[in-house]
Amino acid sequence: MSTHVPSFTEPADRPTAPAWLLPTIIRFPRAGSEGAQRTATESLFEHTEVWGAFPADAGREQLVDELVRCKLTGRGGGHFPVARKWRGVMATAGGGYAVANGAEGEPLSAKDAALLQTRPHLVLDGLQLAAIATRAEHSVIWLHAGATATRASLAKAIAERRVAGLPGPHIQLITGPDRYLTGESSAVVNALSGGPPLPTFRRKHSSESGVNGAPTLLHNVETLARIAAIARGLDPTGHVERGGIPSALFTVLTPTGRTVTEIRPDTTLGQLVNSHVAETPQAVLLGGYGGNWVPWAEFQAIPASEPAAQLQGRSTGAGIVAPLPTDGCGIAETGRILEYLADSSARQCGPCLFGLRAVADLVSALARGELGRADRKRLERYRAEIDGRGGCHHPDGAMRLLASMFTTFAVEVDLHLRRGPCRADTGPRLIPVPSA
Amino acid sequence: MAANQHPVRLRVDPVACDGIGICTHLAPTLITVDSWGFPIVAGHPLSKRDRKSADAAIAACPRRALFLDDLPN
Repeated sequence: MSTHVPSFTEPADRPTAPAWLLPTIIRFPRAGSEGAQRTATESLFEHTEVWGAFPADAGREQLVDELVRCKLTGRGGGHFPVARKWRGVMATAGGGYAVANGAEGEPLSAKDAALLQTRPHLVLDGLQLAAIATRAEHSVIWLHAGATATRASLAKAIAERRVAGLPGPHIQLITGPDRYLTGESSAVVNALSGGPPLPTFRRKHSSESGVNGAPTLLHNVETLARIAAIARGLDPTGHVERGGIPSALFTVLTPTGRTVTEIRPDTTLGQLVNSHVAETPQAVLLGGYGGNWVPWAEFQAIPASEPAAQLQGRSTGAGIVAPLPTDGCGIAETGRILEYLADSSARQCGPCLFGLRAVADLVSALARGELGRADRKRLERYRAEIDGRGGCHHPDGAMRLLASMFTTFAVEVDLHLRRGPCRADTGPRLIPVPSA
Repeated sequence: MAANQHPVRLRVDPVACDGIGICTHLAPTLITVDSWGFPIVAGHPLSKRDRKSADAAIAACPRRALFLDDLPN
């Protein structure tokens, strides 16, 4: 069925191309730990067995053309075209930084940890390909300091590569504090430049002026893993019409944990949830805390493939899927998440510092049935005033969540305004939210 | 002359801004304040008259948070 012929780097030394990015389904605790349950880390030898040798002969122009053809987008959640980022850095004199961002900020997400703990070499291949193509002098992998399992896996992988003498700059493993915004791209650049690990407002794009003012290419680790597959003539973009590895990577919140799994892009998010969660949810939080509540009826039909989802006006974001059971209250859950996001503010921009707290207070009041009609109008005004006004997109994500609460739980909002709290408001919370 | 007519818009660096508010008095047609006293800057291309008040606001900002930005084509 597939007509895709690898345009370069024939995977001749590998009989069958891998079907998925991950070796298996990987389970994590529901919250509080980045360590996967019972997983093995692929050694450099095993990695080469599965994927073939490091594609050192992938020409920079050919590779970027291939990224265009595959329409690969950033898997940190933003889905910015990867090739456009590369072209921006390749237009400079180089000599800068290639950065793998493994500081997965969303507490519900575990896909990056899953990749780094099982297939670190695939990610590091992608990092080194990016560094070589953009003539970077430094390769960095950026992690949360508390990500001990991930750090151990990477330290071993980096040592293996050094012994094997694989091409590319020396890979530095650098960590930042275990906070939500540590993985925000401008915070990473700021921290690697010797500043605090907080978002900054950039008047120039980091491709021109990033770490220490040098050209910087920063990618999410899943993006890099996909680049490593594409450089081997595989096409893991999730376009069903193409060959290679059509897969979409998700973290699904289940009653017992978080499951990182891949599905074919020609399936739906409804099928994804049904295969991991027994009870039919009332709605699903798609994209994490800064994502969208989607009613189950609509969620069911969203395609797993990002381009197809975008045609429906949706995005799979960083692939976080958190179903809300029927006995939960979407308003109370939103209030708790907004409180966490307010606590996680870098406290640098006025609208975020004051606005997120004000909004979280109002939504929590709504959940308790204590919000008046005038407050309802105030909440709408705050939402409009906060959206798009931070130095980073942190407040935008919070306002996206709030807007989706009003549409997805419109009936419940009205009931809370008129009749007070629902029974679920005093019950157990169903979406885990850590203390910031 | 040509440089002056290049379309620009006024922007604020929200990290640098402390909401002191001098700008809203110097460029009231371009800058309003939100519920917490922080500037909301109009994003349209600046006319000649706009440009005059924008320049005044930029020069007066104690945090150097306002700047002119080339409009994306």
